[in-house]
Amino acid sequence: MAEPLVPPRLTSARLAEAQKALESAIGTSRVFFTELDRTSYEDKFAIDDSRHLPGGAISPETVEEVQAAIRVANQYKLPVWPISRGKNLGYGGSAPLLSGSVVMDLSRMKKIEFDEQFGVVTLEPGVGFYDLYDYIQANNLPFWLSTPGNSWGSVIGNALDRGVGYTPYGENTKNLCGLEVVLPTGEVIRTGMGAFSNAPTWGTYPFGYGPSWDQMFVQSNFGVVTKANMWLMPEPESLMGMDVEFDRPEDLKALVDVIGPLRRERVLTQSPSIGNWLRAAAVLTTRDEWTDQPGALSDSVIDAIRKRFGIGWWGVSLRLYGREEINKAAYKVLEDAMKAINPMAIKPTSWVKGQPMEYSGWTGTPITFPMQNVNWYGGRGGHIGFSPIIPQDGDAALAQFRRTYARYREYGVDYQGSFAFGERHLTNVNAMIFDKDSPEMMAKIDRFFRQLVADAKEQGYGEYRTHLDYMDHVADTYDWNGGALRKLNETVKDALDPNGILAPGKSGIWPKDLRRERGQ
Amino acid sequence: MRIALVFGAAVTLAGGAAIAQGPPPPPKPETVASRPTATGGEKLYLEHCAMCHGPNGMGTGLLGRRIDVPLLEKREGLNANYIVSAARSGIGNMPAITRGELSDADLQAIADYLAAGPNP
Repeated sequence: MAEPLVPPRLTSARLAEAQKALESAIGTSRVFFTELDRTSYEDKFAIDDSRHLPGGAISPETVEEVQAAIRVANQYKLPVWPISRGKNLGYGGSAPLLSGSVVMDLSRMKKIEFDEQFGVVTLEPGVGFYDLYDYIQANNLPFWLSTPGNSWGSVIGNALDRGVGYTPYGENTKNLCGLEVVLPTGEVIRTGMGAFSNAPTWGTYPFGYGPSWDQMFVQSNFGVVTKANMWLMPEPESLMGMDVEFDRPEDLKALVDVIGPLRRERVLTQSPSIGNWLRAAAVLTTRDEWTDQPGALSDSVIDAIRKRFGIGWWGVSLRLYGREEINKAAYKVLEDAMKAINPMAIKPTSWVKGQPMEYSGWTGTPITFPMQNVNWYGGRGGHIGFSPIIPQDGDAALAQFRRTYARYREYGVDYQGSFAFGERHLTNVNAMIFDKDSPEMMAKIDRFFRQLVADAKEQGYGEYRTHLDYMDHVADTYDWNGGALRKLNETVKDALDPNGILAPGKSGIWPKDLRRERGQ
Repeated sequence: MRIALVFGAAVTLAGGAAIAQGPPPPPKPETVASRPTATGGEKLYLEHCAMCHGPNGMGTGLLGRRIDVPLLEKREGLNANYIVSAARSGIGNMPAITRGELSDADLQAIADYLAAGPNP
């Protein structure tokens, strides 16, 4: 039997005591410290398998059990890493940042309450997109979800990490409306109108009175969110749009400059994502069908793949949601705008309530098949993404693409990139697909990632979300006024979490007696 | 490659470009609501496995590149012990399924259900 993995500040004996205390608090059947348990919580997509090793896991099922476990963690200064469902693949999955941390797995907290009048769903963190979809189907509710490309995970976990979907409700974190949170000291709070006893408006008015705290618990380690209200989109009367392909890399500039104003004007209320050919192709085929040459793919191979699947160098899907009459008018605007910039193909799509539905992300249907892209290189695949926020401007986007594409070629990695619209920004998602069975490939991913961080930093572009490996590195790039924001974050951390037990290192935020671990 | 199994691959990872002449549209996801009479291992399979191993799932798509019957429920001769081991440790591109997510008893019920296949 392998030795226990002891986190900082504990000894083997104290860890054993802490384990017993956890068993007393929530029951032996939901405390997991075997070797197999530890490996099952590791990061499947890790670049370096020696990092971020879980010390064990616990699985509380109620708010009271979360509180009880938090009290034990405080007693022993045991680091605890909460996960909703641990399916955040590419960002660390179910693994903790600090090795030896005990994963607090909230998968079994699966309660769903729904206010059909206002389209507000109250969720516990274990509720996955498929669970919520199933609930809506079983109860025949006229609402659509906003699902990400990997819908295996938690609905509120995704929102708490600023994940996105593809409907007008696609910026999921904006649809949070009131949280219930267990603070690191064990106290439970409710934000917004939830702070007002018996308020019927907890899920409908997001701000409450005085400071508004919801975003404080997003991408942070200031509390364990045990419940959240989210707004769901009423099923629209009509869905119209088009899938558009463009032939040349340089078409990116025109695409951004034409779609951007339509998004800012809210002719488009969903957030389109311009993706390159590999984003489509990596789901459909594998690299070895096309070449056995190492290094980035040649233009001739890219052309052959595009030809077989009939895809552009870039593709984008635009969708309109709502009343049919309004959609028809807006469709004409979109069509004219797209035709003006010489697409190689436009495929229109139209749906009206009552017709057979397209089961895709555009209709809020949960999906997992896009993750097939991890098989692109063969072997045990994985991916991470480097995703800086850049201006919603064609010249800036094209320059960012050219700079990044050159780096992909330099490092010999096949480029999978996209430019996803927000209302005023672009998120430039650069996926690095890899084969964990290739030591040569794995040896260069870390250097490559850090290179992209440095390149973006020179332009003033910072990442919006990152893998465990780079949480400190990315936090370092948010350096204005001597890193004043991180100082504030860590002042708050020390005030709320005096024993430094909750998710040490998350988003580069370390408690005072573990700051020596920063960057390790 | 059995590309026909990759239903609706027109939608890409970050919701991007569709393919003009692509494969057939994706089927509706299978959940408990689509089989309301399911019980025991079948119901647990729908809750915990079907998102990847259902008709449009990642697992089905990847298995479809290697074997003739990629849907686990349609397989014959699956071994329950093998299923438990594969789920707990992960296999290929499939991450491990933890005990926090799925208890030993529930995983065994799923394994027994699949081992009794092919199922309707």
